Amino acid sequence: MGFAGWRRRWWRRWAAERSGGGSWSGWRPGAGASCGGECGPEPGRSPRDPPQPPGWGSRGCRERAGGVRQRRVLCVHPPCRDGQDDEQPETEASSKDGCESRPSPKELEELELLNRALEKALRVRKSISKTPLEAQVALAEKPTGEGSAFENASEQQVPVSGRDVPVSREARAVSKKPASMKKPSPYQLRAPYRTDPDVKKTQRRAPARCVSQGPRTAGKSSSKGAVSRQGKSHRPASSASDQGVCAATELQNAPGSSKSALKEQQSSIRDSSGEGNLVAAGRQLIDAGKKSCGSHGESSRKENPTAEGGSTSPRTVTIQQQGCQLKLPHPYRKAYSRNCRAWERSRLCQTSADAAAARKRFTERIQTTFCSPMPALSPVEIEEELKVLQDIPSLLSQYVEAEPADHPTLQREYESLLTLEGLQSTVSQCLRKLQLLQAAVESQKRLHPDCTGDVGSCCPACVPARGRACGGAGTLAVPLLWYSSFQELRDLFALKLQVSMLHQEIALQKLTMTELLPVLESEACPEASAAQLYRAIYTQLCEGGKRFPVLVRDELAD
Amino acid sequence: MVRKGPGSAAGRAGAMPGGRALPGAVGALCRAMPPRARLVPEGLRRAKLDRPQATLDFWRLLYALLKQIHGGKWSEADAIDTQIRFVKLALWYQGYGRPELYRLPSDGSAGSRELLLAFSWLLHRISLLEQLLARNRVRTGDETSVCMCEDDLSQSEQGTTEIAPEYGPEDRVDVRYLQWLNGRLRFQWRSLHAQHQEQCKLLHKIHLLTSGSHVDQILGHFSVTEMDLIRQTENYKQLVQLLERETMQLEAFLEWKQLEPVYWQWMETVLDNMAEEGNMCKPQDAHIEKSSLPKVTSCCPWADSLTGQINKLSRDLMALRDQLHELVTHRKSAWEEKVKARAEDLQKEDFAATVRKIQEAVELKLLDLSNLCAPKKNKVHGLCRLVYRSKHSASKIGFSRSVSKQPAPAVSATEVIRELQMREASLQRELKQLREECRQRLDEIAEGLDGVICISP
Repeated sequence: MGFAGWRRRWWRRWAAERSGGGSWSGWRPGAGASCGGECGPEPGRSPRDPPQPPGWGSRGCRERAGGVRQRRVLCVHPPCRDGQDDEQPETEASSKDGCESRPSPKELEELELLNRALEKALRVRKSISKTPLEAQVALAEKPTGEGSAFENASEQQVPVSGRDVPVSREARAVSKKPASMKKPSPYQLRAPYRTDPDVKKTQRRAPARCVSQGPRTAGKSSSKGAVSRQGKSHRPASSASDQGVCAATELQNAPGSSKSALKEQQSSIRDSSGEGNLVAAGRQLIDAGKKSCGSHGESSRKENPTAEGGSTSPRTVTIQQQGCQLKLPHPYRKAYSRNCRAWERSRLCQTSADAAAARKRFTERIQTTFCSPMPALSPVEIEEELKVLQDIPSLLSQYVEAEPADHPTLQREYESLLTLEGLQSTVSQCLRKLQLLQAAVESQKRLHPDCTGDVGSCCPACVPARGRACGGAGTLAVPLLWYSSFQELRDLFALKLQVSMLHQEIALQKLTMTELLPVLESEACPEASAAQLYRAIYTQLCEGGKRFPVLVRDELAD
Repeated sequence: MVRKGPGSAAGRAGAMPGGRALPGAVGALCRAMPPRARLVPEGLRRAKLDRPQATLDFWRLLYALLKQIHGGKWSEADAIDTQIRFVKLALWYQGYGRPELYRLPSDGSAGSRELLLAFSWLLHRISLLEQLLARNRVRTGDETSVCMCEDDLSQSEQGTTEIAPEYGPEDRVDVRYLQWLNGRLRFQWRSLHAQHQEQCKLLHKIHLLTSGSHVDQILGHFSVTEMDLIRQTENYKQLVQLLERETMQLEAFLEWKQLEPVYWQWMETVLDNMAEEGNMCKPQDAHIEKSSLPKVTSCCPWADSLTGQINKLSRDLMALRDQLHELVTHRKSAWEEKVKARAEDLQKEDFAATVRKIQEAVELKLLDLSNLCAPKKNKVHGLCRLVYRSKHSASKIGFSRSVSKQPAPAVSATEVIRELQMREASLQRELKQLREECRQRLDEIAEGLDGVICISP
């Protein structure tokens, strides 16, 4: 609130001073306008950089904390400075002598636009937090905001990098527009406004009572509203889709429900250029996240917890009420039982003694016809052994580190000594094994079927192993994975994802190391940007792109 | 069904249970194969008799089957020499060592008997039939994989040029683009995580609320597919058909298991035939053999990659060995001194017994370690069906079914979670190590930068 007021105050003051021809203090409209337009990293920074750490401009713009006001402050890079190096943090308040006392009309215009946009944003924010139902219809804007709406819907911790949040609010406001929601207040749409952590928190709690107990992101609840509107307008007869707030969980159709909401929006309201990207991104996520749960989305609609305050159509079967009594259709049941029994019999079926003997005879005979010095291990066996050995060094290191340096008693010391000796022998064993494997690799290489033509053509076929490792080696039963609580299931999935992510991070780390460090070391970059490059690379390689070091210019004031 | 081939073989081999058992066995084998493989009994017979068309068909058959085993994508339109090359490589990979096969021409004009032998060898060696059945299984449950094999990028040999950069070597890429990409990647991971959590919630809900409704007592509850089946039965007619077809395949498999001795005996006759013919042309073959194995000079990427891995592991282990050596000598001398100093006291305390106990304890401790060093035979791999079993119902079902016969393989989420946690910890350590290394190198570089001090976060 203070922000808009401040802006206006400044504006009036500047206008007054301008008319008076006097100098004015501090604010450079040109800079402000150009910064407000896009708060990303600015390519054309003046060479006389302020003593602030380089790159601060871009960083500031991406700061989530603090309001727009702070963002503005840090973004300021006045184009003309005339010897003013240290005005950044005190721009508005100070009354320094500016060089530019006559901003051009263009800059004025831009500033005016900016002002207006910001005021709208504030208005929308206020109005939405008070009465979500009174959507700001007048603010229907371009759907560029939908991109951020999509983002907002998914994960609340995700930083919204420099997107214009006001626009996203407007988009969501529009999505609510035709919604004559009959939902009670817990399901109010509360668009997440990133710069206000308090608002976020209440949104998080509100959906706790929500129907699907979906993820506690406000974005989802907002799209719920949209989905219900969708249900209303397209399937008025079946209120199942109303209850299908778990369209929020339609993995097949939408990452988060915003996609379905947005799809409806787009198709019914207006054309969107952003749709393509959104859909593609969404589909990417779906494919990545999809397990073999067939039509998940549809079955999720089945879930109609009776906690839903709204109407339950008589046609809807609630899983809670009838879950235990549901019966599979008869043909399926029959086919399934027969199939299950056949699998069980196959699993338990053993090779008869005759058959085993016959197999053995044949195999031995054919093996006598193989190339005479047949290596002991086949390529597939070599790879298996190697795979086992991959983790050994780190495991052994762990053991070694676990042995303390000092021991209270003689016994403990002896135990420790014995352990270390045992580890030593294990290491030697592994080294011997590696030598054997190396020899096997050499001999198998000799037998490798010749590929006529270029070597590259045989490469793809050299990797037959990818799918094989998980073949289960012919076990005729799908193993069962028991889980005993919801938490366990969640932990399982989360851990699997974490491990995959770590694999990828490590691979990326190795790659970027080999690619980026030589760039710095070779000093092939111009002096001015060397520091920024260094900072960026430092962040990427040492902090995983999450935290930035501070670069301080080491200049002594003369 | 009168067959000349098996008949004559029966005559030679003598005590075979009639030539009629072989068609039964071969027929069962063909019916147990996946439908896409298109194996017919005729094909096998023609292969043995070395009919011309049989060779091409057999190459195609082996290609289809091996591609299924290795999980790759394939189509029938692939060129025949590509197919042949793949089959040869796959057979080499599994350790098939008959040189005649590798010498077969790549236009597929001859050698169907060799292929028949290779096929039978595969049947036994990698349990081809069982693997195919398991891979093509109709999945009706909620499945998830428990191992992370497919993620192991260190072993991957994929080409790195899949996403070619749009910039030429002279162009410069702004590092901020990298940062942006990185941020996007992190965002995608988080979204994926959210999706997964949502999926878990719904899965659990279905499992919980449909407990007790399933036909199969062991499973107890529906899966997502089955839930949907109830709502929209019309969409799932195909599923029922697939299940029925699979049941027939399995019954054919069981039949095959009964009749297979006949098949193997028949294969031995094939070997006999080839041995006879081979005797006649042996001298020529020996000569050819030498000239067709000069492969030492050609580079083999597989071997190179493995050698790289082996070298890296050796380096790590040797570093560890040196470290341990130092540590052990140091400790040992210290220990021996201490023992000498207190020799009399220790004799009184019967130190020898204590020593023995300690030795046993340490052996036990290290036994775990050596188990880890050996490949685990019974480790559960691949896809598992998720089943919810609350603690109290677990005790109810108990051992009713699993006592009598071999229990179905099962693994508990707790174990998997534990393993994953260990894996995660070791990966974190590795990542941290890499970052430390980068930090050191960057510190060195920072000293070269003029007039800038870097304060790390």
